[in-house]
Amino acid sequence: MIGFALVAAWELVTAAGVVALKRPLYNALSLVGNMLGLAVLFLMLNAQFLFAAQVIVYAGAVMVLFVFIIALLNPVSDIALPPRGIEWIYGAVFGVIFAALLGGLLFNRGLTGRPGALTPEVINATGNVQTVGIALYTTFLFPVEVTSLLLLIAAVGAVYLAMRRIR
Amino acid sequence: MPVPAYAFLLLSGALFTMGAIGFLVRRNPLVVFMCIELMLNAVNLAFVAISRYLNSLDGVVFAFLVITVAAAEVVVGIAIIVQVYRAGRPMDVDGLDLMKE
Amino acid sequence: MDTLAPLVLLTPLAGFLTNALLGRLLPRRVVGWIGAGSVGLAFIFALMILGQVLGGQKLDQTYFTWWQSGDFNVPFNLYVDALSSLMILVITGVGFLIHVYSIGYMGEDPGYSRFFAYMNLFVLSMLLLVLSGNLVWLIIGWAGVGLCSYLLIGFWFERTSAVLAARKAFVMNTIGDVGMIFAAFLIFLNLRVLDYRGLFERIHQLPRGGTVITAICLLLLLGAVAKSAQLPLHTWLPDAMEGPTPVSALIHAATMVTAGVYLVARMHLLYDWAPTAAATVAVIGGVTAFFAATIGTAQVDIKRILAYSTMSQIGYMFLAVGIGAYAAGMFHFMTHAFFKALLFMAAGNVIHAFHDDQDIRHMGNLRAGLPITFWTFLIGTLSISGFPLFAGFFSKDEIIRAALSAAGSEFWLGLLALITAGLTAYYMFRLFFIAFGWEWLSRDDRHLHEAPSIQTVPIVILAVGAVVGGYIPVANFLSPVFGHAVEVSTSGFIGLAALSVLVALAGFFAAYLLHARRPELAVALRTRLGPIFTLVEHKYYVDELYDRVFVRPALALARFLNEVVEPRVIDGAVNGVADFFLLEAREFRLIQTGRVRSYALWTLGGAIGVVLVVAAVLGYLPLRLGG
Repeated sequence: MIGFALVAAWELVTAAGVVALKRPLYNALSLVGNMLGLAVLFLMLNAQFLFAAQVIVYAGAVMVLFVFIIALLNPVSDIALPPRGIEWIYGAVFGVIFAALLGGLLFNRGLTGRPGALTPEVINATGNVQTVGIALYTTFLFPVEVTSLLLLIAAVGAVYLAMRRIR
Repeated sequence: MPVPAYAFLLLSGALFTMGAIGFLVRRNPLVVFMCIELMLNAVNLAFVAISRYLNSLDGVVFAFLVITVAAAEVVVGIAIIVQVYRAGRPMDVDGLDLMKE
Repeated sequence: MDTLAPLVLLTPLAGFLTNALLGRLLPRRVVGWIGAGSVGLAFIFALMILGQVLGGQKLDQTYFTWWQSGDFNVPFNLYVDALSSLMILVITGVGFLIHVYSIGYMGEDPGYSRFFAYMNLFVLSMLLLVLSGNLVWLIIGWAGVGLCSYLLIGFWFERTSAVLAARKAFVMNTIGDVGMIFAAFLIFLNLRVLDYRGLFERIHQLPRGGTVITAICLLLLLGAVAKSAQLPLHTWLPDAMEGPTPVSALIHAATMVTAGVYLVARMHLLYDWAPTAAATVAVIGGVTAFFAATIGTAQVDIKRILAYSTMSQIGYMFLAVGIGAYAAGMFHFMTHAFFKALLFMAAGNVIHAFHDDQDIRHMGNLRAGLPITFWTFLIGTLSISGFPLFAGFFSKDEIIRAALSAAGSEFWLGLLALITAGLTAYYMFRLFFIAFGWEWLSRDDRHLHEAPSIQTVPIVILAVGAVVGGYIPVANFLSPVFGHAVEVSTSGFIGLAALSVLVALAGFFAAYLLHARRPELAVALRTRLGPIFTLVEHKYYVDELYDRVFVRPALALARFLNEVVEPRVIDGAVNGVADFFLLEAREFRLIQTGRVRSYALWTLGGAIGVVLVVAAVLGYLPLRLGG
């Protein structure tokens, strides 16, 4: 419980950092911290495989890419922040709405889904990675294949885009 | 005392909200992208939490696929932003309105 | 007989189709003789049918079911009895003679083949009307003759007056058609049959003299009044004289205008059962007869005089069938067909001789120039005036006798008819004296020549009919349909005959005096009568009245609809729909700003909306949804 509260606090702070800090590099670093915190939360939720995936793929690859690009492009911070006051109003309005939705969550605390059979003990008996692997390659085979295709497309697209000459 | 499910969901919702606000407010395309990532992560958290509390692995698998797709998306998006930079245009989402009616 | 009856219809149909489709390619003579021949052939078939009917045969034969949906069953059936066989004999016989006459009369006309095609179509429609065994096909034939009347009145369509006259006839006819159709509706609603046999069997189910049967009979009467040019729907008939003379002879004298009389006679069971309606028929007939005769005394166009004469004589027929003397009415129909067709065709010869001038004041002294026409016209005039031993005498007399000997108010109608007979003699002889002249000249230096024999032989044949037609025992022939007439005492017969002869002679002498001997008296009389004369001369200003009351408001309404409603309401509505969509599109296009963030805004807004709706439906919100 304490652990959760700490990690949750860390999450919120870094998320605010992503949104509000001025220089893009700071934003990127905040996001990295956010993702690591998330990885810890996954660990708490008995998803060890996902913890590893998050750290390796997301924090380790995606965010590194981000940081590289920021360093390469060295973009100026937002041209003017804020240029238009109206945007904060949008933000405020949505914030309120979402807060209301979240508040609604407080009043409906139960999960209405049907509990399955894979309790943490069962999973840990076989091992988390193994269980996830089995699920991926049996029940979720089709999505896996489609996702691989998607990755291929993304790779091709990125290569093409990078090779275009700018007139 | 074990953590109740709704706590995770509340956290997820808060993170998502903050990502949405940031996405609406910021003008640097890279920062906007990072806010998108934040939103995706929030959703992942929700998936995994519910998966854990309903004794199933479906949410975990789905979160994994989300990570994969997010990676692909980042790749393409960064490529586009790089192109914009190399074309000399200002790095401002409001200026990139070539698809205007 | 069941093959003969459709053959009677098929021959004019064949004639029509041939002349309509191939008429331009065939030589004139052929076209003309096809037209006349088909009607002649139909006449021969009609004679054969007559032979069988005299032997006591009748026919009510269904050939195929034309339209059936549920209760509503309209077969194509033909009904032949004494009444319809009399009608088809007259239609085809007199029609044949008129067709032959037209071969000569229309010889130079550019629309020759079109003329014969239309005439055959008319004969077909009229025969269909008469032979039909149910109300629907009767109405179809009814509409067909109306159409042909329109086509033939406006035959010379380059003439504005002809086109207007045709339109007027058609519009008035349509008013009558509406009445007929509503009568058919009422009949079907109440009795669920439309064929004659079923109708006649079931008619007594309705209360005698009740509202339903009276309404039916009055609506049918509306159709008859329009078709037969009786008051108040009579104004189209004089204008219809714009058509070629054979058309006037066939359609507007002998056949189509008598369709109304046929209708009442055929529906006699209905009219017997609705005395009020029958009385209306009689009153309309009697009043029209008198009214038309008065107008005829002041007209100067030869064809118009004959048109009003037709109106008047049909009034006699209406009077007859209105008071229940159906056989007398049909008898007069037959004799009238003879002498009226004769009169029209002879008038046609005169018009041709004077190069299409129809004003009788420009004519006169025709005995030497057009001898055959002269004598035949005289015979026709004698017949229509009711001179003894001529056909018109017998038939008119029967009607007057039936009226005078009936009880109640019909007596007054009979008196009116008697006075009208005197007027008839007067105006017909006025016409004769002014147009044909009474001076018995032996030579004439106006270079008038008689018409060719193709135009005179038919008239002579009809003249014979106008004399001997009175001796045909029509009443006996029709007795299977109408029952036997009431016998009249010999003294009554002779007394009445003497009376009518007296009246006719009075008319004759008045005409002789005023127009032959002392024309100056006629002028003096005209000035003395002054405004009354003007009133009569202008046909009692009925046309003008109708124009004010009906035509102008209708035109104003049409103009209003065209100028106000059409552009504003209808176009406005259609354009409005289009404009609405344009407006919407223009507004919605503003969303496409091209800016990612505004898109994101809309997306998020939508997402929130969806979430709210789902939450509300699932009951997570403290909201009460309807049910």
